[in-house]
Amino acid sequence: MTTRTTVALSVLALALVAGRSTGQEAPLGRERIENLDFPPLRFDPPVPTVHELAGGVPVLHLEDPTLPVVDFIIRFRGGYERFPRESYAAATALPTLVRTGGSRRLPPDSVEALFEIYALQTTFGGGGGNSFATLSVLTERLEVGLELWGELIREPGFDPDQVEIWRGRALENALRRTDDPAVLAYSTFNRIMYGEHPIGWELGPDDLDPEDLGLERLEELHRRLYCRGNMVLGVTGDVSWDEIDPLLTAMLEDWPECSEPLPPPLVPEIRTEEGVFLIPRDLNQSTVVMAEASDVHQDDDDYFASRIGNSILGASGFASRLMARVRTEEGYAYTASSLWTAPRRGPGLVGAVTRTRSEKTVSATRLLLDVIAEMSQSEPTDDEVLRTVEDFANGFVFNFQSPAQIVSRQTLYRLIDLPEDWLERYLEKIQDVSPSDVREVFRTHVHPEEMVILIVGDPDAFEEPLEALGPVTVLE
Amino acid sequence: MRAPLTLVTVPIVILALGSSVTGSAAQIRGDDLPVHEVRLENGLLLLVLPRSGAPTVSFVVQYKVGGVNEHLGTTGIAHLLEHLLFKGTTTIGTRDHDAELPLFRQMDAAQDTILALRGGASPDTLRLEALSERVRTLEDSARTFVIPNEFAEILSRNGGRSLNASTTNESTLYYVELPSNRIELWFALEADRMTSPVFREFHTERDVVMEERRTRVDTNPDGLLYEQHLAAAFTMHPYGVPVTGYMSDLESLTRPEVEEYFRRYYGPNNAVVAIVGDVDPERVEALARTYLEGIPSREEPPPVLAVEPPQRGERRIEVEFDAQPSLRMAWHTVDAFHPDMPALVMLASVLTGGRSSRLYRRLVVEDRIATQVLSSLGPGDRYPQLFQISAVPLASSSVADVEAAIQEEIERLREAPPDDDELERVRTRIEAGNVHRLQSNLGLAFQLAGSAALHDDWRTTFRLSTRLRDVTPTDVQRVVDRYLVRSGLTVGVLVRSAGEDDEP
Repeated sequence: MTTRTTVALSVLALALVAGRSTGQEAPLGRERIENLDFPPLRFDPPVPTVHELAGGVPVLHLEDPTLPVVDFIIRFRGGYERFPRESYAAATALPTLVRTGGSRRLPPDSVEALFEIYALQTTFGGGGGNSFATLSVLTERLEVGLELWGELIREPGFDPDQVEIWRGRALENALRRTDDPAVLAYSTFNRIMYGEHPIGWELGPDDLDPEDLGLERLEELHRRLYCRGNMVLGVTGDVSWDEIDPLLTAMLEDWPECSEPLPPPLVPEIRTEEGVFLIPRDLNQSTVVMAEASDVHQDDDDYFASRIGNSILGASGFASRLMARVRTEEGYAYTASSLWTAPRRGPGLVGAVTRTRSEKTVSATRLLLDVIAEMSQSEPTDDEVLRTVEDFANGFVFNFQSPAQIVSRQTLYRLIDLPEDWLERYLEKIQDVSPSDVREVFRTHVHPEEMVILIVGDPDAFEEPLEALGPVTVLE
Repeated sequence: MRAPLTLVTVPIVILALGSSVTGSAAQIRGDDLPVHEVRLENGLLLLVLPRSGAPTVSFVVQYKVGGVNEHLGTTGIAHLLEHLLFKGTTTIGTRDHDAELPLFRQMDAAQDTILALRGGASPDTLRLEALSERVRTLEDSARTFVIPNEFAEILSRNGGRSLNASTTNESTLYYVELPSNRIELWFALEADRMTSPVFREFHTERDVVMEERRTRVDTNPDGLLYEQHLAAAFTMHPYGVPVTGYMSDLESLTRPEVEEYFRRYYGPNNAVVAIVGDVDPERVEALARTYLEGIPSREEPPPVLAVEPPQRGERRIEVEFDAQPSLRMAWHTVDAFHPDMPALVMLASVLTGGRSSRLYRRLVVEDRIATQVLSSLGPGDRYPQLFQISAVPLASSSVADVEAAIQEEIERLREAPPDDDELERVRTRIEAGNVHRLQSNLGLAFQLAGSAALHDDWRTTFRLSTRLRDVTPTDVQRVVDRYLVRSGLTVGVLVRSAGEDDEP
């Protein structure tokens, strides 16, 4: 059976799915709701203007005078995944230390005092893939706020005391990783699946000697990552382009060029051998994680069917099969969900997670496997597919709630080389997915019998031995 | 990982808030927003705030009921009810309500027998098991008439976002965001839910709530310490009882008890509706009159009269868990309406509001004995609250070192008030925060509903910053002296269980 879902939508003038007829006379309840008529929703989302400054830095700008606030985002390509293990701690610390370590001109205390006086709000973050910094500043403090933020990012001081505070915190976090069963499960699972690839790394004492966070290493990473050819900037809020142009030009004009291109990210080799792993913990609830390698990529034809399929399986909350079966029907868990990552290069993961009381551990694990298997055995209904598309299409407008949200997304697309209309293309493509496409993508790429399963829990309280799922490897 | 419905109460953490701003930002007050306020004839308060921007609307319904309106034996009932209100109505979530009703009655009767047997001197375990099995079988039979999760699915298909609910000590909130052409859908669904809810799949959902408790409390060291610490600080006020409920109470709750709780506390006269976004207030009011005004008002819920007796000396508890140590300290203070509250809020910011705050500098930067320190006022608003400090010690230090350093910083404030510059920095952050808090429709809807529910005036939340601006250094010193005293202190420490390996 092949039924194509059809949701009328023009991207810039959204005419969302309408109901059937008007009817205020019906009593409350189903009849009244089914007879509601929704007028078309017309909306022209604002579009950022794109500029280039300082010899090629892309800057996206969208004016929004609603509040006297200006928001900035700067994104940098690359993270710890591009560097060898000896740089792992320094690359992980970099965004935080850029924020807290002062600048070459100003010690951390002075920076904190100025941030407070000027009421600057910032976030600095990043990971293996790329990093970012944001600034939210009242319009009346725009010039001084931008100058200070730019100075911090361009010329960080890496104050040794702040480096030491970060190191102490990282050592403590490593010690506390086993405190929370879910954190323990997810980090261990990554290590099992990704081995020595950076995704499987965890910061530990061996990564955190003082020399691992030496000034030279931090400065070298900063030079490689936070350089002019490696960044995209976004500006939204109460400022016109003519007003912000000279300020950004001044900020960027001395920004160093990248000395050499970044090495490409390492492609992971994900474990392909199935297995059951147990971390014994004296708890009344088990954490269950399962997954296998997936070879669906974001640029593949199968990608859109995998998105719809993952949503039906377990990525759409209450509408998903996993929630319906594991939570609503059996009461095994507060939540159950699926994951299906589809990177642009290299393998991803497909699987499911839940947490359940000890005496239902094996039953809940089997149920997850069964529900995944059913996705390959028969097509989802037309209505399941339509519902997933409607959810995305009718909620599409929520991707344009604020200028800051629009610009933030566009800067990310530009950084990772996605077309700027990627979201609109996605909406179009998922409407072409049929129930048979969904079954086929599961049949081709998902094999429950090959899942790696990890459970954190108390085996003495399980309803039957975990060996019922296969040979068990106990991890200490 | 997406956690769907329900967020049980968490303390409001006073972190970096705001700052001393002149000019336009300082003039953004919030209490002059063009809120359209209507009191329906049945007592329901409707607040509508039109906002330009994307065609979306945020909806919040806040009922003035929560954990404090429970009693020992039925703890967790407010939270369970919150879950069950997503199960549908007499027409939503069911294929045949008339057919499922008799099965509910049979289940309720079996459950009553189970409870009576459990309360006996020597319960017949075989009979208990058989009865439990009967309840399960009946629920499975009733499930044949259920359309699972239909309420959530209708909203999702119509583009709904942020669908969720939360139960706190004093309030239960239901919220969602929709495209603005779906406003009437929200009214139709919510009016139906207010009028004809059906608590189907009751026993399965009770299991789900117990799983939520296991996740948030039983297997979570921070959640466990928080619960035990509150229980030690409050000896009789319901603030000491967990909103998630005790496990044995959850096992004993019945559908008729939940139905009665709904009847008692979910009258429209006990609710506030806040709607913010791309709306025409006149049309929204018309829809409210069409859909909500006809719902009959109910008797005023009974007041909570429990008063926590004065604490007569320091209390200390240890909570054992297989985890690294952590610390909580709390002192009894006043309710949200008390004139000392603004000074206590400023005190929290002076102590832990950002990287230049006193405790952050002392514990994290100078002594390097902790990775994190936070302060908050809670666990509710309406009744006298705790001033709480929590800290995560470094392994190289001890909980005792951290507690001593916190006490020293408190003594410093007792001896000398903060200087004007210090308070001015706090004020600056707060006033800048006033601008940022206006950015999100859903955030605004929460503020309007919360303020109206607690203070009977949506403006009060925005006026807090004016009250904070008036706080003087000696006010801060005075509240330290009055409330942060040894005899009113409760200390909770998470320790590794005796005999467990202390190594990582």
